[in-house]
Amino acid sequence: MTILSRRRLAVAVVSATALLATACSGSGDKEQQASSNELTVMAPLFGTAPDPSGELQQAVEKLVGKKLKITWVPNAEYGDKTNVTLASDSIPDLMVVNEKGPSFVKAAEAGAFWDLTGKLDKYPNLKPADEQTAKNTTVNGKTYGIYRVRPLLRSGIVIRKDWLAKLGLQEPKTVDDLYAVAKAFTERDPDGNGKKDTYGLIIPKWPGFYASASPYDVVETWFGAPNGWGERNGKLVPGFDTPEFLTAERWLRKWVTEGLVNPDFATLDSANWNDPFVQGKGGMIIDVNVRATQLLDLFKEKNPKDFDKVTLVGNLSLPDGKKYSYPFTGYNMVIAVSKQHIRTEEQLDQVLQALDKLESKEGSVLLTNGIEGRNFKADGKYAVPINQDDPKVKAIQNDVDKAFIQLGTRASVGMGAYQLKPNDAASRAMREEFDVLMNEDLKTAVFNPVLGVIAPTSISKGQSLQNIIPDARIKYLSGAITEDQLKAEIKRWYDSGGTQIAKETNELAAKVGG
Amino acid sequence: MATDLAPNQVVPPAAEVKQAPPRKPRRPLGRELLRYRWLYVMLLPGLAYFALFKYLPMYGLTIAFKDYVPFLGYSGSQWVGLEHFRELFTGPDFGRLMFNTLLLALLTIVFVFPAPIVVALMLNELRMKVVKRSVQSLIYIPHFLSWTIVASLTYLLFSVDFGVIAGWVHSLTGGPKVDYVAQAGWFRPLIVLQLLWKQTGWGTIIYLAALAGVDSQLYEAARVDGAGRWRQFWHITLPAIQPTIVVMAILTSGHLMDSGFEQIWLMTTSLNRDVADVFDTFVYYVGITQGSFSYATAVGLFKGVIGVVLIFGSNRLAKRLGQRGLF
Repeated sequence: MTILSRRRLAVAVVSATALLATACSGSGDKEQQASSNELTVMAPLFGTAPDPSGELQQAVEKLVGKKLKITWVPNAEYGDKTNVTLASDSIPDLMVVNEKGPSFVKAAEAGAFWDLTGKLDKYPNLKPADEQTAKNTTVNGKTYGIYRVRPLLRSGIVIRKDWLAKLGLQEPKTVDDLYAVAKAFTERDPDGNGKKDTYGLIIPKWPGFYASASPYDVVETWFGAPNGWGERNGKLVPGFDTPEFLTAERWLRKWVTEGLVNPDFATLDSANWNDPFVQGKGGMIIDVNVRATQLLDLFKEKNPKDFDKVTLVGNLSLPDGKKYSYPFTGYNMVIAVSKQHIRTEEQLDQVLQALDKLESKEGSVLLTNGIEGRNFKADGKYAVPINQDDPKVKAIQNDVDKAFIQLGTRASVGMGAYQLKPNDAASRAMREEFDVLMNEDLKTAVFNPVLGVIAPTSISKGQSLQNIIPDARIKYLSGAITEDQLKAEIKRWYDSGGTQIAKETNELAAKVGG
Repeated sequence: MATDLAPNQVVPPAAEVKQAPPRKPRRPLGRELLRYRWLYVMLLPGLAYFALFKYLPMYGLTIAFKDYVPFLGYSGSQWVGLEHFRELFTGPDFGRLMFNTLLLALLTIVFVFPAPIVVALMLNELRMKVVKRSVQSLIYIPHFLSWTIVASLTYLLFSVDFGVIAGWVHSLTGGPKVDYVAQAGWFRPLIVLQLLWKQTGWGTIIYLAALAGVDSQLYEAARVDGAGRWRQFWHITLPAIQPTIVVMAILTSGHLMDSGFEQIWLMTTSLNRDVADVFDTFVYYVGITQGSFSYATAVGLFKGVIGVVLIFGSNRLAKRLGQRGLF
């Protein structure tokens, strides 16, 4: 190696090192100096991410008068990504977030997000439409976000209509009827293949925690157990600490022992929940009502000529006629405003005005239906898809359905936007049935009185506690533990911090008025 | 390595000792630096890499001793001392986590660690090169599959509703159908089986490389002296790969507390959580899904410290036993 080439090599090495060093130090703090007419947003995504220069985003940006920089995060990892984002030093200006998550509560209470309590009333489209729901979204009396409305009562039972007809059965009205249907579906060969290869009910391993709208929670409510928390003898107690809870579990355990439930219920991934139903292995699913239309579509995909095989039944009553229905929270996550770049009240006002435009009628239509005349046309209260063969229009439709609809806070209950017109009679009838069942079941809905309350201990110690009850429930149902052991697990919940949580919940509920 | 043996240590077999090079006369550091300046310059990128990506991030470990709130940042969060460690050691989960982690580690040492050695030795005895090569390639393919796929395969084969193997066992024994993936008792056997299937073939590579390095003259000499294949194996092959085994064992010991997060997480269900929870999954669960960053960091730090202690300990032990050790 000559001197010259050696020197050249050295220069190269040194400059590469320097480059590396500057590249690393530079990326940290800056770049996030958002200008006042740009908003950064984080929202869930249900398919492929929209093109930021796509037609729909252009239209939305034009409407709100701000440039949007949206981070779309696949829904499956949204929770994790939220926590990681909250731990980082760049929180987006607007964030769709579960306002009850421990990391959000901690961040909000440390002042990372705007407390919007009492601030929303002057924005016509952000003002809460429903007092009860607004209360449900609060964190110990404070509003940290604009809630995304969902129908208040969506629980129901999807049943194979053709199996009912074949066995000459009626749609169930009481829990005993349901048991009879499940028994018949299991033992009387509803698919007519001469083999005993079907079961009544399909349940998955539930990814969420206690009182998170699982089929188990719905059934417990039918039996009169509280929805999450309830008042017993003047005190608030967790739902699993009631005799009704145990009655419901005993009833369900009988189903499991008699083989009326899919044998792999403890391990079936909820992502594959539809499969056994569509394959004709099981005949019922207890879940949100939209699963009925989903299943109808799947049957239609399989055989467009003969697909009307699904019916939806609402919540059930007890044999003595008492009825308790399982309501949802009335919303699904909130849009929170970060304080990182939006520092003054004036800036906040600007952002809220932009959001108000986004949630106006015009905005709702954009977010929920798309661009009128491009991908849909209005037909009364319905939106009818058009030009879907054009790839550009298809892109708009995708951006609406898989992404932008997540930014809408009001449209999903028919405020502002059009409803999608179902393209066959069966789906249309099913959709209309949703409203009928909801109005009927709302009369007997059991609400969770402490949705707006979060005990500090459940934030600091929740990690050791949250799995105890749902795990014990599944273990009991599958026969791995006895009822005494189930009770012991409930006691373990109290002993490892639950007592403190119950105490704090009662105190807080008394203070903020539940 | 052989040069810095302490005087009171056992000297390894004569064949392996290299003569220590004569000590160079000491020169001032400045002249040394100047003389080898281009080598030192070339060292810089490596040093920069380690400083930036390995040592600088360690500053973040301080949050284990703080009540970290991201919004307030590293400097703004309050110090709480050993509070999180106290919570960990006295908390209801600690005993179970420790037991599960250690038991899985033990199972790994007993079943998974020797497997590549045995397979490599068996492959080495094969005389047909083609067979040897193809077997070797075939068994290391699973290494390239992700844990997600391995877990799905396990569910496909062992679940009660549609599992093929579960079905075979059922029809062979005539007993009741067993739900292998749901029962807590089958959790550890399945984990070990998965590890064996996925990692054994890959692990053989390093041992086969060691075996390839054995001087064939040794075998010839042994044959001349009348040693059979068993004798050759016992007196030549095995001693030849012994240092490799020791080094691998020391390296493995550092990872004893790493139970393989992905694998465990994917195999965990409500029914087996009691036996499945290990430090790795706990850190993820507490840190990412619950947002208790400080606590999770404390748990991770504890795990890391144990790993370091184990590496140094086993290295020491190896030297005590007359092996060369890692450093």
